[in-house]
Amino acid sequence: MRNMLLVARREYLEQIRGRAFRFSTILVPVLVIGLLGVSAFTGRRMGRGKHIVVAADNAALAADIRSNLLEDKRAEYRVDVVAPVTDQDREQLLARVEKKSIDGLLTVDDSAGDAPHVTYISQSSTDLLDTGDLKTAVSYGLLNLRLTQRGMTPEQVHALVENVPVETLQVSSNGKTGKGQGMAPFYKAMLMTFLMTMPILLYGLDMARSIVEEKSSRIFEVMLSVTRADDMLTGKLVGVGAVGITQIAIWLAAAVILSTSALLHPLLSGDIKIRFTLMEAIFFPIYFVLGFFLYSAFFSGLAATCETAQDLQMYVSLAVVPTWASFAILPFLLSNPNSRWVVAASLFPPTAPLVMMPRIGLSMPPAWQIALSVALLLLTIWAVVWVASRLYRVGILMYGKRATLPELLRWVRYS
Amino acid sequence: MPVVELAAVSKAYESKVAVRHLSLSIEAGQMFGLLGPNGAGKTSSIRMMMGITLPDSGRVELFGKPFDRRSLDRVGYLPEERGLYRKMKVLDQLVFFGQLHGLSGEEARKRALDWTARMDISTVLDKKTQELSKGMQQKIQFIATLLHDPGLVVMDEPFSGLDPINATLLQDALLELKANGKAILFSTHRMDQVEKLCDSICLINNGEAVLSGRMREIKSRYERNRVIVEFDGSADFLKSDEVAVANNYSGHAQITLKPGGDAQKLLHEAAAMATIYRFELVEPSLEEIFIQTVGGKADA
Repeated sequence: MRNMLLVARREYLEQIRGRAFRFSTILVPVLVIGLLGVSAFTGRRMGRGKHIVVAADNAALAADIRSNLLEDKRAEYRVDVVAPVTDQDREQLLARVEKKSIDGLLTVDDSAGDAPHVTYISQSSTDLLDTGDLKTAVSYGLLNLRLTQRGMTPEQVHALVENVPVETLQVSSNGKTGKGQGMAPFYKAMLMTFLMTMPILLYGLDMARSIVEEKSSRIFEVMLSVTRADDMLTGKLVGVGAVGITQIAIWLAAAVILSTSALLHPLLSGDIKIRFTLMEAIFFPIYFVLGFFLYSAFFSGLAATCETAQDLQMYVSLAVVPTWASFAILPFLLSNPNSRWVVAASLFPPTAPLVMMPRIGLSMPPAWQIALSVALLLLTIWAVVWVASRLYRVGILMYGKRATLPELLRWVRYS
Repeated sequence: MPVVELAAVSKAYESKVAVRHLSLSIEAGQMFGLLGPNGAGKTSSIRMMMGITLPDSGRVELFGKPFDRRSLDRVGYLPEERGLYRKMKVLDQLVFFGQLHGLSGEEARKRALDWTARMDISTVLDKKTQELSKGMQQKIQFIATLLHDPGLVVMDEPFSGLDPINATLLQDALLELKANGKAILFSTHRMDQVEKLCDSICLINNGEAVLSGRMREIKSRYERNRVIVEFDGSADFLKSDEVAVANNYSGHAQITLKPGGDAQKLLHEAAAMATIYRFELVEPSLEEIFIQTVGGKADA
């Protein structure tokens, strides 16, 4: 135990003092802030302040479309109307689009009666925001026109087509009905899966790489003469795990400070507010540690059988499969967090930490499922550490070539 | 009470028998040489002594008790595959190894400072191991092996890769440890070093002990049949009936006598033909004994 703790302490201090730790601890928040800044900036600029000309035969319809477009204050459109429009007008307007003196030309040909022909011509083929806005504006305009032609007053039409707000409510397990959070659960599930997956994978790989490095530095024989292979492996897992928790704690602290500071306020003033519950705060570290131990022990066993980082690469692509599977199950998770497949994935140890955490965030699963997933994880970790420490004990003293599968099985048997 | 004792120890890996019924014992204050060609089973024997691998059969005792990992705190081990944490600073590394052997952090630090001053490497304490020369790294490994003042020092090929200055430094340190009553085992395939330093040896080949005992006693078992002659004049005496093989290097001849060959008779014949400056009947070297014992059976 003493030597295990000494190994853990060495691993922790060496990594914390290392340049890579400082670099990634600072770089990740800087990158996140940078990305937020870029997306906020581009989001604000995208589709804003465009100059559009609405060309239609029916002047009332064109004016109605114009007023619909101008209703979207955030888009800051400049809209001109040409109605009634002649062929010559159309040609001139097309020329203006080509010269970019206007951003787009919306023509509405209502002459065919019930089947109007609407085109939007611009130099940008990817302006999805515009086409969405335009479609809505034209649809409302045409609907207004048709209904007034059938004898309704504009006020009646307005009352008929007014947006009906749908309030989303969420029932918690104790039967209380609370206000839903709109898109927030989706982003929260994504965030949790990401926060759980990336550090587990990165630190697991870091652990594997450091074992391959230490193997090539021939340190293991000296170490094995003073400490047991199990203590070395466990010490390494504890040390690297503690580094991971330290780093995530620093990131979260930085996130809390930044999100409450004035600096990021303009970037975070969107409609989505993600809040974490006490349950999530309790279970996140538990599932993180369990997931980390499971994957790191697995990677360690593999790493002990490898000679070079290239050898390791081959295994790593296989080892990340459950992680991708967890991302693949996210859509099912979001649409029905209690479906059979989602429950199975949240109990299956390799995917449990990555699926159960978002599940807890979306709708609290029954206690027995959480207890079972933790128990299965502990059992699997024990088994993986058992096999990994055997591979480790034999593998770290084997030099020269990567072991074949039959050799690995023999190592597990006879060590 | 032997400091280390192996009794009929065997170890096999899959189809290959690495060590077969090996027995040896080392007393305090004794320098013991474990000899053998590459692949003979030296490292496998040492690994069982250190608890890195377990014997399939036989008994390992350390300090008079059946093997127990706690005894390893009193053992200093320098394996053939040397290793240090490359990115760790020298002082941190030495303190870490001292602590693993049961020293307190403070005591380990104090001893590390003493040893590095003694080995004249105090200036590198704050440097990372990877920044140091190979010779410097070997000194650090040597200190890490001895920092906790072990009663048993085990060194696998300790002189390999050392320059003459560091080799002499290590040799002197080993002799000092021996004088202080430590038991020292070193394994090597370099017979000349063993001959110079060891009191006792065990020669193994293909996992089996083929010769063991005290050096003097072993040498006395072999006939003195080798003659070195330095002379001036005719070399015809080298064709004597007493001579089996002779190599003449311009006045320096190395002669092996025939079985039962008479050295005195050869001296008379030589003196009659040439001026003799040196005529020495030498005992066989360990290397010759080794070749004679193992013959063509050695793998290396």
